[in-house]
Amino acid sequence: MSEHPHKKQPRRHWLLRLAATAVIGILLVAVLSTGQDAGTILSIFSTRFLGIFIEAVPFLLLGTLASGMIEAFITPEDITRFLPRNPFWATISGAFMGFAFPVCECGVVPVVRRLFNKGLPMWVGITFLLAAPVMNPVVLVSTLSAFGFGQILIGRFVVTAVVAIAVGLVFALGAKPQEVLRPHATLPVTGGSGQILLKVPPTPRKPLLIGLRDALQMAGDEFFDMGRYLIIGSLLAAAMQTLVSQETLLALGRGPVVSVLVLQTLAFVLSVCSTVDAFLALAFAGTFTTGSVLAFLTFGPMVDIKSTLMFLGVFRRRTVAYLIILPLLMTMLISIWLNLNVVF
Amino acid sequence: MQAVEHDHTHHDHDKEHAQAWAKALLLLGLGLYFVYNIITGNLANYVNARFGWLSYVAAGLFLLLGAISVGVLLRGPDDHDHHHDHDHAPLTWGVLAIISVPLVLGTLIPSRPLGAAAVEGNISLNSSVSTSSITTFTGDPLTWNVLDWLRAFNQSDDLGSFNGREADVVGFVYREITFPDDQFMVARFTISCCVADSSAIGLPVVFADATDFPADTWVQVHGTFQIGEFRGDTVPLLYADTIEVIDQPEHPYLYP
Repeated sequence: MSEHPHKKQPRRHWLLRLAATAVIGILLVAVLSTGQDAGTILSIFSTRFLGIFIEAVPFLLLGTLASGMIEAFITPEDITRFLPRNPFWATISGAFMGFAFPVCECGVVPVVRRLFNKGLPMWVGITFLLAAPVMNPVVLVSTLSAFGFGQILIGRFVVTAVVAIAVGLVFALGAKPQEVLRPHATLPVTGGSGQILLKVPPTPRKPLLIGLRDALQMAGDEFFDMGRYLIIGSLLAAAMQTLVSQETLLALGRGPVVSVLVLQTLAFVLSVCSTVDAFLALAFAGTFTTGSVLAFLTFGPMVDIKSTLMFLGVFRRRTVAYLIILPLLMTMLISIWLNLNVVF
Repeated sequence: MQAVEHDHTHHDHDKEHAQAWAKALLLLGLGLYFVYNIITGNLANYVNARFGWLSYVAAGLFLLLGAISVGVLLRGPDDHDHHHDHDHAPLTWGVLAIISVPLVLGTLIPSRPLGAAAVEGNISLNSSVSTSSITTFTGDPLTWNVLDWLRAFNQSDDLGSFNGREADVVGFVYREITFPDDQFMVARFTISCCVADSSAIGLPVVFADATDFPADTWVQVHGTFQIGEFRGDTVPLLYADTIEVIDQPEHPYLYP
């Protein structure tokens, strides 16, 4: 059975519809339970939502543009050519490949899939998959604009690199490629025939103008793909700030363990693109522990609903489970440890 | 089987065409919305002016992407089908509706900065948000804003030293039920990135006819400080000589 893109649609729509219904439901209940009149609340809510949207959307556009350019102009051979031969160093450099190829968590899966077909070692691909959504110039600038230069920015990049390299090394030591990847993604790795080329043709370099036009069109498509997650996420964050009382938020956000679990769940559910999640995190920074904000900014880009669905197209189910559980536990433990032992 | 599939794709084609137009118009609409925000200065209601240039980028890119989508549509049926590897969900009316939310909220609800109603009791009398930088105060104290004064109070060991100092500040009127009739706070929101990280600060003002000024009125308060009791703390209170109602300033927020 070949993977048909339309097969996934019902499941996605179901999730999207659930999220939208949840937003509306929360809004209605909350508006009714606050003392102020609905017009004032709506005005404040709208200002907060548009604030996040206006600040975040340029980064989303730049991200989709970069992703479109990569699709149009970079062939996977360009990436594998510069990789060190030593597996350990290759894994480490896998964590930094995103600086040359800025992709968010949605753009990274197709790139990784094609890299595997070009013979990229499986564990390097996994490190790249987990690290690239954060370890890239667009996210560097967006996190810098949101939080300035400080512990959040440094923590985000260090924790992401550590977790991604660690998970990559776990796979390097403990798994064989054919146990990790779905059959159609492994053929070249396991010495398969040229049949795979029918599915994933080698990418010839495009002429400049055609490539540019394709890149811009892809950027437009991808904006609609990713924009909806940004908008639903921003609606929820703005609703939370406007409608949930400060005491409730502090009660959730001050616990060193609870706060981490809450924001990790939120990061997974919201599925907001890594190029812009820093602006959503701002909404929590006032009330939630610094460790939990870090968990939101490190775990979310590695794993969320949207990327899990995409993982299933490349990796075997058991691998997908590991790809969720390992980053979840590692970012959780690091964040809780930071909350308990480091005075922010 | 073949016939059914053909019929299906034919039916889909009309829908896809309509959706492609909706998508192109949405991109153009978002671009125009950013241009509108830039021209009217509404941008200052949402983000720190330091990041204004990002909105120019967004406006340009939206218009460019929109123009390309329109161009592709006008050139007629697909001359190239882009089967790139991205796992795109096909466009649906639901997705289009979600993407239009910012446009709907931005055009239907009048653009206003956060005001007194958004404070909800979380107003700070000290500038703890921004004490990380030790500011050296230069310039005429009469040009200091609310944030400058709170910073000065924060860095001072002796609040009594502010007795008799003259001040002239701008802010909106904020009141809680517990405030006496002759008091309100002249308040501002500070934002470092966008309104998501906003926090309210304010100076207590004492004025005999304070009730003349309803909440959310923008005022320019001139007066002198005198140490006094406010919400259980001993802080400098601004005894006003004159309070003037003014227009909302061009930059409603202060940037720490």
